Amino acid sequence: MKSAKKKFFVRKGIILSLCLAALMSVAGCGKYKMVTNVDELEGSRIGVQLGTTGDIYASDYEGDEAGTIIERYNKGNDAVQALKQKKIDAVIIDEEPAKAFVSKNSDLKILDEEFTVEDYAICISKENTELKNQINDALRKLKADGTLDAIIKNYTGSDDEKGKTPYAAKNIARPNGTIIVATNAAFPPYEYYSEGVMTGLDIDMMQAVCDTLGMTLKMEDMEFDSIIAAVQSGKATVGAAGLTVTEDRLKNIDFSDSYTTSKQVIIVKDPDAAASSTNLSEKFKDNFITESRWQYIAKGLGNTLIITLFAILIGCALGFLIAIVRTSYDKNGSMKILNAICRVYLTVIRGTPVMVQLLIIYYVILASVNTSKILVAVIAFGLNSAAYVAEVVRSGIMAVDNGQFEAGRSLGLNYRQTMVSIILPQAVKNILPALGNEFISLLKETSISGYIGLMDLTKGGDIIRSITYEAFMPLIAVALVYLVIVMALSFGVNKLERRLKKNER
Amino acid sequence: MSDNILDNNVLIEVKDLCKSFGNHEVLKGINTTISKGEVVAIIGPSGCGKSTFLRSINLLETPTSGMITFEGTDITDKSVDINKMREKIGMVFQQFNLFPNMTVKENIMLAPVKLQIMSKDDASKKAEELLQRIGLSDKADMYPAQLSGGQKQRIAIARSLAMNPDVMLFDEPTSALDPEMVGEVLSLMKELAKEGMTMVVVTHEMGFAREVASRVMFIDEGVIQEENTPEEFFANPKNARLKDFLAKVL
Repeated sequence: MKSAKKKFFVRKGIILSLCLAALMSVAGCGKYKMVTNVDELEGSRIGVQLGTTGDIYASDYEGDEAGTIIERYNKGNDAVQALKQKKIDAVIIDEEPAKAFVSKNSDLKILDEEFTVEDYAICISKENTELKNQINDALRKLKADGTLDAIIKNYTGSDDEKGKTPYAAKNIARPNGTIIVATNAAFPPYEYYSEGVMTGLDIDMMQAVCDTLGMTLKMEDMEFDSIIAAVQSGKATVGAAGLTVTEDRLKNIDFSDSYTTSKQVIIVKDPDAAASSTNLSEKFKDNFITESRWQYIAKGLGNTLIITLFAILIGCALGFLIAIVRTSYDKNGSMKILNAICRVYLTVIRGTPVMVQLLIIYYVILASVNTSKILVAVIAFGLNSAAYVAEVVRSGIMAVDNGQFEAGRSLGLNYRQTMVSIILPQAVKNILPALGNEFISLLKETSISGYIGLMDLTKGGDIIRSITYEAFMPLIAVALVYLVIVMALSFGVNKLERRLKKNER
Repeated sequence: MSDNILDNNVLIEVKDLCKSFGNHEVLKGINTTISKGEVVAIIGPSGCGKSTFLRSINLLETPTSGMITFEGTDITDKSVDINKMREKIGMVFQQFNLFPNMTVKENIMLAPVKLQIMSKDDASKKAEELLQRIGLSDKADMYPAQLSGGQKQRIAIARSLAMNPDVMLFDEPTSALDPEMVGEVLSLMKELAKEGMTMVVVTHEMGFAREVASRVMFIDEGVIQEENTPEEFFANPKNARLKDFLAKVL
């Protein structure tokens, strides 16, 4: 018996180490390869920003015999970071952002190979032809009077021209409404954060268009691959994010006339570059102190806390209601229809990822309404949490001995009174640890709020990352802040638990 | 039936009471009348339906068919507010069912205050009186977990009494107690009987049935097989099943 058991463990150990070895070989298979020209892209690992023209070019290599791997990132900046860490071999990206990235990262260089020239344009819904014509008129005017040229030179011109001709919003009456512009502010010099505000070529260009049309400009920062969907659904009026006009995009969306041109280039690691040697305190200063960048985290933290707090309130209120409906049905068969509705609700909410729910609420259910994003997030996370709270509360109610219920009813209390004064207080005490757990998961789940362009804590860190090209500091800082909140939350729940337990000595 | 309505001493009248759980028929037609001041002891083998019968009287079990009248009102009628009826029908459980998250005093005060029968002050006074009476005044601010089984059951009785019920139902009130604690609960019940409280007691305590009950009822196979004064019941059983049962338990 003993030896058989031992044998079993030995075999288990062998299998485990085999699995580990397999895993490590998979992880190690992507070995860094030096790319020196466009032909060497074959068989390398190419990083691109999801949904960009770079993605489209790179996709031609995908699945070839050389085994080219395409890594798609949400931000061009993430691809550059991956390249810096040799996770990938090359990044295909638009020329101007590439220049911006390389100028800030001495260990990177742009290859002297270029793809074809492409047009940047403003995307706009196919139904909105009138505005499209207005924008085209405005662009024509701006081209004619040299304004557009000045804006472009201010960002992409030679070193002498750069920063010399900044565009300032005109102080005029704006009677013709608002243009909401969807963008992805991690794409310098077209759009990026500087000193806490979104800035860049596209933004100045849109400001100039709005000034010409007598309209108000409102910028919305979101994921790059969400921009076209946002414009289609009406969440944004237009999209301006260094968008190239392509066949595929034209199927879904219309474009204005081109306002500038660009081309795709390849960024690789520069083998001659000396390793950058900034020390920790300098890095800290660069990430948090310069331009008061800590404010991105502070502001994000505020939003994260607001979303979590109100989502907990909605989740608890709705969750308790659902739990009571469900247990009433289980106990005495009442509220049949409500119970059925609740069951469908639980199935749908628990059966789909919260991120998908958030996107559906933002882009589908509240598509045509101009609600604040915080409200959207509160609703989405509140509705999601309610389903989990409901099941936790239900299990808590079921765990209370039925004799308690009978005692209450036999004294003349009705169902509701028995529930509220006798059952629920006992149930809450039992489920407090599970509820605390749910609140902690909820807090952490709000980190996906960035997907609807909301600046929460995680997104705040991401913005710093997109400015400083440094992953370590912002990510660790964000992680630490989450950790501290979770610890505070657990401490509170533990304290409450101990207080409620005092009658069980 | 007309006799019973005229006789205003009748408190509970049970007619053709049947109760099934799924296909299992537990009560197969119970007929009896309980008058004010009576102490009815119900005995019978386990699973015979005596607890189900008791729990039907305040509708903790909903009868499958038949009629139960309490103080002239048919409580099986759906339009009757059963909560109002239950205020007048006290119940004591085998497992006490005290509320563990409330102190002894809060347990007693809860129903009168929640149902707005008494003000908080009156309920507090009433609770103190009751605790004094059962000799547990010093436990008022303790939680049930700190008490012995006998103390818990006496407090459960006090909790029922706080509602000033017209009848008290006892469902095997001493079965979950250690033997040395049975006495304190039975003597409290004896006191209540002496004061004229109408009581229906499902019990295995033959001594209590013989000494305190005014009538003893033997239920088996879902019907009342025999009921009589305790003297006749124990000395002169007629039903064959009852004889058999008594031979085993006495």
